[in-house]
Amino acid sequence: MTALVRLRLAGFLRTGRAVAPLLAGLLALGVLYGGGRAQPAEAYGVSAVVLFPVLAWQTKILLDVEPDVQRRLALVLAGAARERAAGLLAALLAGLGTVAVALVFPWLVGGVTSQGEPGGRSVAAGVALGVWAHLLALPAAVALGALASRAVTGSAGYGVAVLTLGAVGSLVLGLSSSVVPWLAPPLMPVARATAAGPSAATVALLTAWATAWSATVLAGYAWCRRARA
Amino acid sequence: MRWEDVWLRYRRRDPWVLRQANLRLGAGEAAVVLGRNGVGKSTLLQLAAGVLRPARGRIVDRPRHVGWVPERFPADQPFTVGRYLTGMARVAGLGGAEADRAVRRWTERLGLTPFHGARLPELSKGTAQKVGLAQAMLRRPGLLILDEPWEGLDAAARDLVPALIDEVLAAGGSVLVSDHRGETARLPGAARWTVADGTVTAHAPADAQPGEIVVVEVAVPAARAAGAVARLRADGHHVLRVRADPVAPDAPVAAGGPAFPGPVIDAPPAPPAPLGAAPGAVGSEAGAVDTSGPAGQVLR
Repeated sequence: MTALVRLRLAGFLRTGRAVAPLLAGLLALGVLYGGGRAQPAEAYGVSAVVLFPVLAWQTKILLDVEPDVQRRLALVLAGAARERAAGLLAALLAGLGTVAVALVFPWLVGGVTSQGEPGGRSVAAGVALGVWAHLLALPAAVALGALASRAVTGSAGYGVAVLTLGAVGSLVLGLSSSVVPWLAPPLMPVARATAAGPSAATVALLTAWATAWSATVLAGYAWCRRARA
Repeated sequence: MRWEDVWLRYRRRDPWVLRQANLRLGAGEAAVVLGRNGVGKSTLLQLAAGVLRPARGRIVDRPRHVGWVPERFPADQPFTVGRYLTGMARVAGLGGAEADRAVRRWTERLGLTPFHGARLPELSKGTAQKVGLAQAMLRRPGLLILDEPWEGLDAAARDLVPALIDEVLAAGGSVLVSDHRGETARLPGAARWTVADGTVTAHAPADAQPGEIVVVEVAVPAARAAGAVARLRADGHHVLRVRADPVAPDAPVAAGGPAFPGPVIDAPPAPPAPLGAAPGAVGSEAGAVDTSGPAGQVLR
């Protein structure tokens, strides 16, 4: 399976299609951190929200780079389960790269302050909360991107629709006034929690929520792929 | 591999592409899938490969290692031939050294060595098709599936396909080939699966009772005759006789009657070959192996 992960990552990086989502991500981060210095935890919470559509888009691009017939060839050689897992793993690794850029970026442009926070929280704790927020957003974004990939949606237009509706829906349904917040991954709740300083119970609850959401969407992806290779 | 009541359609409410297919392909057996364009030959092959899943019914006893050569190799990929094949060998589960060996072996056999560093999108159609053949053979397949394998190949490479098929069969594998140009006349002994209107009809190979002996006539330069006979014997073939008088390799073949006034290597009267193999020359190092006509068939 590592061989297929490497082949797909190489395909993604070599075609240059990795550039577009990375640039979009940097642009979004630039706007986000352009307003001045912020506390790391708060800034990172918003950064995870902003990166969610970018990571989902990046996943869709990575999975779509490979021609359909090549995906089927890989399936024949590696088996269906491994072929699917390898695609998701490659997307996860590529996403970790983007997340790493997003975590380092504000320190390079002076978007965050290293002064201690007013609530007595250390910078390290703020960064840890930021890493947590991004690591919750990443699997959810990969799951959404996979569901929007050509292997599932068939046509380009339909794929873009799934991606856009998923990303917009995740943000809108996550607003604090939402009636059905559990339909979306907990991006906005995580952002609110990082700003306020979450309790251990909140962290556990949000982690479980994000995991359950990602697992459900990934199960949907596997179900859609069972008949269509 | 057995097909038990296999039905397929691409979507709910679509018409059935295949209905109630019950098929069987044993170890060491080959089948040719025949039918008009768009009748579902490729669909059938993709079901066999496991790329598509039956909507109803099931396919059981599929060999563990399947090699699938698609109709068109997906050349739009940012890899060189060598990098791609090594990657695919690793994907197929070969270890590093094993994968390198397999890639070297198959690039040489398929004449891809000069293209080792060439990028896939720059390849001609035929060369790309050879890369498709190579990726399927890297790990010896228990089931080799070839979708129109002769498309775009030059004459020399065309002759390679039956050799690959023979190799897989000899190792106890099965082979499934689709063909709409009659090239599979080169595969006597294969069953015929005819696809029409969503149904598949299997015909047993017309002439291939197991163990049946057929005769291949071979023309070699006189100076190399002794060596050729020795090699054929070493390969376990029964050489019947050697005579002078070479026969032109493109001599016309009269179906059902004796092909030549005097065969180079002769045998007791063989039954007429129903499959009338195309008069073509299989390149050997110096001479030509003529597979034409009733008297000329395989020595195995």
